[in-house]
Amino acid sequence: MISMLNCFQIISKGIVLSILLFFFNEIYAAEGGPCKDYGECDKFQYSLNDIESLQRGASTYINYCYGCHSLKYSRWGRVAKDLQIPEDIFFENLVFDKSIKPGDLMVGAMPEDSANWFGVEPPDLTLVSRYKGDDWIYSYLRAYYEDSSKQYGVNNLVYPGTAMPNVLMSLQGNQQLICKDVPLLAKNGGEKRDDFGNTIFKEKCGFLEVQEGTGILTREEFDTLIYDLTNFLVYVGEPSKATRERIGWYVVFYFLIFTALSSLLYREYHKDYNK
Amino acid sequence: MTEIAGKLFTWINTRLPIVNTFERHLSKHPVPSKVNFWYLFGALAAVTLIIQVVTGIWLIMPYSNTEEQAFSSIEYIMRDVDYGWVIRYMHTTGASLFFAVVYLHMFRGLLYGSYQKPKELVWIFGCTIYLAMMAEGFLGYVLPYGQMSYWGAQVIISLFGAIPYIGESLELWVRGDYYISGITVSRFFALHVVALPLVLIALVFLHLVALHEVGAGNPEGVDIEEHLDDDGVPLDSVPFFPYKVLNALVAIGVFMTVFSIIMFFFPEGGGYFIEMANFQEANPLVTPDHIAPVWYYAPFYTMLRAIPDPLGGLIVMASAVAIFFIVPWLDRSKVASIRYKGIYSKIAITMFGVSFLTLGYLGTVGVTEVRKTMSVICTIIYFAYFLLMPIYTKYETTKEVPERL
Repeated sequence: MISMLNCFQIISKGIVLSILLFFFNEIYAAEGGPCKDYGECDKFQYSLNDIESLQRGASTYINYCYGCHSLKYSRWGRVAKDLQIPEDIFFENLVFDKSIKPGDLMVGAMPEDSANWFGVEPPDLTLVSRYKGDDWIYSYLRAYYEDSSKQYGVNNLVYPGTAMPNVLMSLQGNQQLICKDVPLLAKNGGEKRDDFGNTIFKEKCGFLEVQEGTGILTREEFDTLIYDLTNFLVYVGEPSKATRERIGWYVVFYFLIFTALSSLLYREYHKDYNK
Repeated sequence: MTEIAGKLFTWINTRLPIVNTFERHLSKHPVPSKVNFWYLFGALAAVTLIIQVVTGIWLIMPYSNTEEQAFSSIEYIMRDVDYGWVIRYMHTTGASLFFAVVYLHMFRGLLYGSYQKPKELVWIFGCTIYLAMMAEGFLGYVLPYGQMSYWGAQVIISLFGAIPYIGESLELWVRGDYYISGITVSRFFALHVVALPLVLIALVFLHLVALHEVGAGNPEGVDIEEHLDDDGVPLDSVPFFPYKVLNALVAIGVFMTVFSIIMFFFPEGGGYFIEMANFQEANPLVTPDHIAPVWYYAPFYTMLRAIPDPLGGLIVMASAVAIFFIVPWLDRSKVASIRYKGIYSKIAITMFGVSFLTLGYLGTVGVTEVRKTMSVICTIIYFAYFLLMPIYTKYETTKEVPERL
């Protein structure tokens, strides 16, 4: 009987699995990814214990983004404390309005009519990492390219038609969408060759490339800058995240011990009626 | 000192049946000696209910039920309230896991015939608890007033509009406004924190009183009341304390381990426990790309979408929940447990399980032609499980149930 039941369980599990697999294949076929024309978003792995990265990210944010994008659920003093920046240094270097106190919310510096400037009001970004995802931010900020048909002369592969100008262009340089000759791939995954053994090339478009010498930073330096900025946005989206993941281990460990001890006790008592 | 305490206790006990009730319903309450893991989800549901009530009370303190502040007060809890994030994540994780354990608890009931005579009322109270939970969960989801709160509420409340004649006025009455607004939030708040918890706790009380009257079941479907010892205690039973308590304690340990892994490392549950769009404040002018219910309503949402006519969809969805209430009278089998039922019952419950999971999955993704066909097929299987039950349970060969556990 038990084997019969097991058999049913296995069959049902198999059916569920195959149905799920079938649909998962279909999702990717039917709905495009969140990074649109960019293809797959670049993977971002946050490191909230890297305080220096968070400090650099905060500095970039306040210097380049905060003019338009508030962080209205976050408080100045909390950021200084979590990022281990002494309050006097923090307020001296990063807070430009001297009337601001540590307990104030980071409500931004934008006038009321900002919607007229860009067509939309620049959104508050406190929670952007939570509703867009960190992969999206990391890809978006690196996917701007020159497009003279647009109002600010730039467009974005991740967010086509974005209303935001490329604020970081002076650092990144002039990025363009180019076409390149790339080797054709054969079915076995290797490069396709002609009868003489030469690799066959084909022109493909949609590659991002920065014009040499137009930016202050190298490609690697710019990627690091965006990494730090995204890392900061992940932090500000959930300031207790690092604490949460740290104490989580203790709580899980506690419950594992709890389970072990209670099951030993249960086993001992179980002998009373199950000899 | 101890003498005075003893006297005081006797004084109270002669006026209030403390010892008696404690012994009857807890310490000496006989429970079947052989049950399997399926019988532990009831205790886990009770634990989750307590977690939800306690964390709920603490969330009410800093939460603000106004249109302007609902969303920001949640962020205030997450940032400025000491350990506010612990309480909030416990509540959101608890909500999802409450449904998870209740679904497993209900499936146990179907597997082992926990609704059969004389347990019909236990089952009906249970179904009513589930109904109240669905309402409670929905009301609570609106309170953070994010995009998904707003648009989810919009979809669900507009369902009332499909009812003929009174639909539109009913919709307006539920919402309290011509569109979802602060008025809706504050009335949902009142219902979520006072009205429905009272109903839920009263129902859980009735569920347990009725259960203790008729006695808990077991996976063999054996009636342990048939063989009693000299004191009238079933031979195949053990007292609730310490045996059942210790058994539950192990289950609680495992459950809390899973609970804390989710809560501390995956509080959004991959967008299934807290949807990403709900981190954006409600905006009546912008519809999210893809409105999906939280996972625990997904099977019913799929049924709603599978029917092209709104009223038809509403009727199908309501019947899908309502049909649970009459299961005690649909099952005509001589035996309770799936172990002794025939092959048809086994096929039926497997198909039901698979179709329920598939419906759940379909509710969380967008609609395509294939998926639409799948949802219709699964809806038919779902209902066939119940509606054909009187036939397949009556005309199948069952096995002999043993005398003792």
